[in-house]
Amino acid sequence: MNDTLALLQKFNAHPDSRCWYVAWNPKGTLLASCGGDRTIRIWGREGDSWECKTVLQDGHQRTVRKVAWSPCGNYLASASFDAKTCIWKKKNDDFECLTVLEGHENEVKCVAWAPSGNLLATCSRDKSVWIWEVDEENEYECVSVVNSHTQDVKHVVWHPTQELLASCSYDNNVCVYKEEDDDWECRATLEGHTSTVWGLTFDPSGQRLASCSDDCTVKIWKECQPEGGQEGTDAAWKCVCTLSGFHGRTVYDIAWCPLTGALATACGDDGVRVFKEDETADPDQPAFSLSAHVPKAHTQDVNCIAWHPKEAGLLVSCSDNGEIAVWNYQSGV
Amino acid sequence: MAHKSEDLFDCILMADDRFHVEGYREGFDEGTRQGMIDGRKHGASHGAKLSMEVSFYYGFGITWKCLLQNNTDVKARKRLKVLESLLGLIQKFPHEEPQYEYLQEDMEKVRAKFRQTSVIM
Repeated sequence: MNDTLALLQKFNAHPDSRCWYVAWNPKGTLLASCGGDRTIRIWGREGDSWECKTVLQDGHQRTVRKVAWSPCGNYLASASFDAKTCIWKKKNDDFECLTVLEGHENEVKCVAWAPSGNLLATCSRDKSVWIWEVDEENEYECVSVVNSHTQDVKHVVWHPTQELLASCSYDNNVCVYKEEDDDWECRATLEGHTSTVWGLTFDPSGQRLASCSDDCTVKIWKECQPEGGQEGTDAAWKCVCTLSGFHGRTVYDIAWCPLTGALATACGDDGVRVFKEDETADPDQPAFSLSAHVPKAHTQDVNCIAWHPKEAGLLVSCSDNGEIAVWNYQSGV
Repeated sequence: MAHKSEDLFDCILMADDRFHVEGYREGFDEGTRQGMIDGRKHGASHGAKLSMEVSFYYGFGITWKCLLQNNTDVKARKRLKVLESLLGLIQKFPHEEPQYEYLQEDMEKVRAKFRQTSVIM
């Protein structure tokens, strides 16, 4: 491995509590983090280091589990264990809570904006996935409630170019949803993991989906056209690659770099790993190799990993010990 | 004559086994009868619970439909659409078939539609 993953900065983001998630805004100028201390913190670059610009502390009554920036960068959505999803509007350096989306019966585990900017998806421990539509007047309306999972839904992610949604759950499955007649339905159930699936990420082109699980593996799925190619029949998703033996514990998060195609994982063994795709492999049977690994990236479980949207190689991770770490990945090719 | 004395003792010796078998048979029949009664009660109570739930959603849907029917603004139109979808799902639901293959799945769809409707209203 002549590829390196170097630590640039490590700082305590959420004192005395877990840092659950970190998200870069679309321009890459701000980093949002959220945690067990019920706050959301916005970090901005000051020279070589990251400084806390804003703290949003009265939005939620319980842990904030995930945050997501809208594609335009002016809005931030936060999903919390208090069963609510808050939509914040950016006003200069401050954020104002625009609206609160209610409806889930218990902890909201994830929120994600569609690339088009007018759809939002949330998922919860109540086993459902909700799709919301936002109109020109910033009014949010629930478009669909889908109950395809039989257990706690951990994560939802939108396809980068099509109106397609994927979710994963404690029931070991990944579900893919499409809109049919104004209603969203589960079109495919991807089975294969033998334990909870914690994270999902699409590759830059949207042709492949990577999932990570409590079974310590990462699986790559590809959409295959059905035989005969009839109009209207759903393509099936097949597992084309499984990365096993690399992670010692649960893999909590996975991120596919939109610029370089590298795959980064956040693991319960406190380590951060980056995988590179083998260029010579058959596209229908991709192969990945471990490119860089920092075994003790944090002193506790790594909960989230995110690639910078503009700067190739810039990676951020966060952990149960409340810390955020910023890394530089260099591929020695 | 050894034959006859054997039969005599046979009766006594096998009594235990005989009563065992008879007792089992009687018990099994009694159990089957009681099981039928319990099963019927169980089915009736579950069926009642399910129809109570479905009728509640239906009543809710019809009421709101009546209230919003004559409203012409855009929001009301959108809500009516969702209501129609809920009512449609319930009407399609086979009320007389307990062995309907997709019973659980369709019930989940109805419940999800109701949750969406109640949030929108």
